Amino acid sequence: MKNLNWKSILYIGVMAFILLYPWLGASSYNKHLFILFFIWSIVAANWNLMMGYAGINSLGNIGFMAIGGYTAGILAKTFGVPPLLTVPIAGLVTSLVVTVALGLPALRLSGIYIALLTLIFADTLPSVLTQTREITGGAMGLHEIPPFYPGMDKTGAYYICFVFFLIVLYIIYRVIHSSTGMAFVALRDSENFAYCLGVNKFKERLKVFALSSLMTGAAGGMYVHALGDISPTTLGIEPFLLTIAMIELGGVGTFLGPILGAFVIVFGNEFLRLAGTLRLTLLGALICTIILFYPGGVIQFFTVLEHRIEAFLKRKTSPA
Amino acid sequence: MLNVKDLVCYYGDLQVLRQVSLQVEEGEVVALFGPNGHGKSTLLKAICGLQPPKSGSIQFKGEEIAGLPSHQIVERGLAYIPEERHLFTDMTVLENLYLGAYPRHARAAVKKNLEFVFHIFPRLAERRNQLCSTLSGGEARMVAIGRGLMSETSFLMVDEPSIGLSPGMKMAVFDAIRQIHQERGMTILIVEQEIQHALEMSHRIYLMKKGQIAFERKGDEIQVEEIEKAYF
Amino acid sequence: MENFVNALISGLISGSLYAAMALGLTIIYGVSRVFNFGHGVIAVIGAYLTWYFLSALGVPFLLATLLSMALMALFGWLLYRFTISPLLKKPNWEFSTVLFMLGAGILLENVVLQVFGPRVKSIPLLVEGALKAGFIQINWHELALIAIVVIAIAALSLFFKYSRTGQAMRAVAQSIPGAQVVGIHIEQIFGMTFALAFVVTGFSGILLGTKYYLNPHIGWEWMVKGFVIVTFGGLGSTGGAVVAALILGLVEAIATLYLGAIWVWPIWFVLFLVVLLLRPQGILGGRK
Repeated sequence: MKNLNWKSILYIGVMAFILLYPWLGASSYNKHLFILFFIWSIVAANWNLMMGYAGINSLGNIGFMAIGGYTAGILAKTFGVPPLLTVPIAGLVTSLVVTVALGLPALRLSGIYIALLTLIFADTLPSVLTQTREITGGAMGLHEIPPFYPGMDKTGAYYICFVFFLIVLYIIYRVIHSSTGMAFVALRDSENFAYCLGVNKFKERLKVFALSSLMTGAAGGMYVHALGDISPTTLGIEPFLLTIAMIELGGVGTFLGPILGAFVIVFGNEFLRLAGTLRLTLLGALICTIILFYPGGVIQFFTVLEHRIEAFLKRKTSPA
Repeated sequence: MLNVKDLVCYYGDLQVLRQVSLQVEEGEVVALFGPNGHGKSTLLKAICGLQPPKSGSIQFKGEEIAGLPSHQIVERGLAYIPEERHLFTDMTVLENLYLGAYPRHARAAVKKNLEFVFHIFPRLAERRNQLCSTLSGGEARMVAIGRGLMSETSFLMVDEPSIGLSPGMKMAVFDAIRQIHQERGMTILIVEQEIQHALEMSHRIYLMKKGQIAFERKGDEIQVEEIEKAYF
Repeated sequence: MENFVNALISGLISGSLYAAMALGLTIIYGVSRVFNFGHGVIAVIGAYLTWYFLSALGVPFLLATLLSMALMALFGWLLYRFTISPLLKKPNWEFSTVLFMLGAGILLENVVLQVFGPRVKSIPLLVEGALKAGFIQINWHELALIAIVVIAIAALSLFFKYSRTGQAMRAVAQSIPGAQVVGIHIEQIFGMTFALAFVVTGFSGILLGTKYYLNPHIGWEWMVKGFVIVTFGGLGSTGGAVVAALILGLVEAIATLYLGAIWVWPIWFVLFLVVLLLRPQGILGGRK
């Protein structure tokens, strides 16, 4: 028995719109923005999984995406591996590297130390990339990375990324609502209580590192095949801040929050572009403002809106 | 001197104090008994400003102090000696005592109060340059009480001074508190599990259960057994 | 042999500069448990302010320094009072302050960029000339820097040991309930801590600005080194920060001599990992 409440209708409506958008006369540029939206919301959603749900203060998730992107790009360009394979391999490689380099040390660390470790990890990646010029293209990066299929156009990339977006979001949704998800939250809120529940802190911590880096790395793979380039600037301060803004703006620790945040940031970034050199200043100011005044994120407004609509509907549908 | 009326306190959603009322006259020693976890420490914390009450009134020397920040309450002459002591463990006994004289009005009386503290607790005088992390439980308790005295206080609230100490130490601590009352005329509100000792030096006692005052008696009108029975 | 000794001296000099720079970070963390992710830009601002008074307004060096330090103190106090203080009262302050200071750091860095432009600046040397003894060569200026750092550290120690406010800061660092019970105004001490830390950090920026070229982005590099130093020395331990800074400065100098300058960053990272894994509480066991 399907319960068709107004929320389900809304979601279906949005999905349908996104599905049909290219046929509704979307410009190439707008399709490009949507592709960015699909990929960055995955990065943000996974970062939120670590930070908002599992309570791990990671500052390095941009690095995960870069590792995945570079792996996929190198595999496709230098070794001719087909994109269908590069993306999952990229995800696995990223997961392996991150779990070993960050997940394992993080078992013994807490709070601020994890933030420091992940930050410095992400910080050293650009210099590693510059040193390995032959494979990674150094400061110039990789270009002309083969697309998903020969002769792919923006619409093709759009749909492939959309499918990826749906799949990964579904996975995250299932994880959040599974026993693993509950274990994450238990660890975040009260370690002692979680211990009593039989939650193994080490296992769950490794799991969250492995899982989110797997999906973020895969997103990196999608990125390079959809857009064709990657360079150390993808790791720069700007994407870093933008991603943080996505999570904070959307609402940490909620499922839809990062997606909403990604939407606002990706499409709103155009306004930032207009500001020219003031861009980073505004970004910094934006983050400060959000954290100070709207720590719950935009999702707070939506929750209020949701309640208002529920109340409104109740009045309309109940007997007078 | 202290007049608490209908005090209500919450920890999050949990109500810990239910309309608590209590008085302490100047120069009195009042004991507060009751089972653990029933709000005694919360009451003291609310009075000294560490735990803001939800409603109710706390009057000290005629002035309303409910909800004031702790540093302003200390300035008005009310000192709280917590059960956990909260000493500055990486500092010496002397440094802790000097910090006890942090309020403005206490700085002029540092020398006088220090002499008094060493008079009450001669052991501290011997160990004045020792780090507090190296002290025994009893000595640390002495530093906590001494630190409170340094604030030139007229009202001392002591939370379980004898807890975790050896019998000999307990006696020493109670003797010291008695001495402080006698020599300084200090008004004292003491929370204790050692009913016998606390009863001996109290003018009045209160019993607190489930966040409420169960009864109030004059010190000489009640027996230890009666109090112990009332716990259950 | 000669190169080695000169490298040691060079390491000592950079180590003392790093020490001055790391102190502000560890002071804020020790007292308020806030980890200042905008630390680098604070040093840069201190340097730029002094540069401005010196070069644009022609103010003598000492006065320029005093003026910018006064401004840094005010800045630190205001930042605490209006932004950090409200954040501390909310849940998850540990991370929200990190993100906030990151955003603030970027904001301030770019404001500096807008106001002063991207071209490098430098603060003139205090003393010209060099001391030569056999194969050893040290600039008088660098010796002066070391002396200044030593005096500054000594002054800070005296402040913490003997002044009312300094003692109160140490008290708050060790036990907030204890400080409350003794009548210390916690908010006020936090505000003064930020003010003091900003002064120290801004001052270190001036010193660094006499040795290295200033641009708005150089704070990031200083900050990450500062992170490694305070973690190495033990979060919250000022003594640890100084010792760690000297050790890391020496290691950096010697590594540069024998391995080359490109290895500097990887070495810092490795040292960071090593200390985190083997002794997370740092060499002098911080978290006081």
